[in-house]
Amino acid sequence: MTQRSIQKEPNIQEIADLLTDIAAELMTTGAHTMRIIQNISRMASTFGYYIELSVFQLSIMMTITSKENSTERLTLIKKTRPLALNFTIVSDLSALSWDTFDKNLTYDKIKQRYHDIVTRKRMSRWLVLFLVGCANAAFCALFKGDLYAIGLVFFATLFGFFCRQEMVKKHINHLIVFTTSAFIASLLAGLGYVFQLGTTPEIALASSVLFLIPGVPLINSILDIIEGHVLTGIARLVNASSLIVCIALGLFVSMLILGLEKL
Amino acid sequence: MNTTEFIQLILRDAALAAVAAIGFAVISNPSRKAVAVSALLAAIGHGLRFALIHSLKLDISLATFVAASCIGLLSILFARIIHCPAEVFSFPSLLPMIPGLFAYRTILGLIKFMRTADVVKSEGFMLDFVHNGLTTMFILFALVVGVSLPVLFFPKTSFSVTRKY
Repeated sequence: MTQRSIQKEPNIQEIADLLTDIAAELMTTGAHTMRIIQNISRMASTFGYYIELSVFQLSIMMTITSKENSTERLTLIKKTRPLALNFTIVSDLSALSWDTFDKNLTYDKIKQRYHDIVTRKRMSRWLVLFLVGCANAAFCALFKGDLYAIGLVFFATLFGFFCRQEMVKKHINHLIVFTTSAFIASLLAGLGYVFQLGTTPEIALASSVLFLIPGVPLINSILDIIEGHVLTGIARLVNASSLIVCIALGLFVSMLILGLEKL
Repeated sequence: MNTTEFIQLILRDAALAAVAAIGFAVISNPSRKAVAVSALLAAIGHGLRFALIHSLKLDISLATFVAASCIGLLSILFARIIHCPAEVFSFPSLLPMIPGLFAYRTILGLIKFMRTADVVKSEGFMLDFVHNGLTTMFILFALVVGVSLPVLFFPKTSFSVTRKY
């Protein structure tokens, strides 16, 4: 690569603010720790700084130091928002970090693009609701459920996921959200037992709660642990496991209501 | 079972897995290209697992491991093509392989064990609980380790896919 002109116009505070914002956004939208560190270091080096970054579940800590003058340094702690998966943001921010590195984008341009990326609209919630219903029904079919079971699971998932969307919108504690959604979905799917629909009501009940499984946090946690960010990995693992316990709890309650003797 | 029937079964399995992957992918709001790729990868992975289990009589966790590593490798390839981090579509394509039925039976076994006073019956329930619980755990580990192996082997590639030069 030819000699790059190092930009120095914005001061260290502005850059540190922008970088911590981006790091916090990546953490919130579900990137794993290694990706966050790589992206942020890449952007910092474009501006002639290097960074040390610690990522925790609820906050990130960053020290940014000038490459030319090591007395010019700053440490920031930034709170992250609760997890709201959004992979479009993760991949766009990764692309932005490479563009910064390759095209030497200016500070204002990065800020503009960052703002565009995080304010982009999500996919329509009704489409998501419908697709999740189909997905869980397909799941039920994969486990060899019959048509009754598939239909039951489809409607149970629609209701369960709708409740989850509503509760998330009202910022209810996520453990309660998961327990309630699992309870509602499994109770509806359990109607197959009550009315003796089809031959595989067991499969309907089992697959009705699977749309809640926190797959991305689970995989992220193992990735973090493998790559050496053990503390963050364990934090993510504990979070994901507590969600799974909540799903089991919701399922348990509706199984008690349905009467275990029949199961 | 003859070959055409077997292939039909594999295709049915793959198609269902693709639908499941699309639904689980949209929860995390990826781009449309990424959704399409995750459906394709899920179909390949789940179909492969089905074929391995039923033709080679492979154990389910081992078959899952093979399928997950296959998804991991392909996801890095596709990541280079559409300039998008590999985990964006490798994660959703794993989800159809999540051992939901085993997890359910684990919980069911546990609850039945807690609520029975009969010693002979409770031994059976405990056995169910341990067997299903271990299967669930091993499949989960196989999924995650399988898909992250390629990331460990090609770290440079997997972190530079969003670079456009």
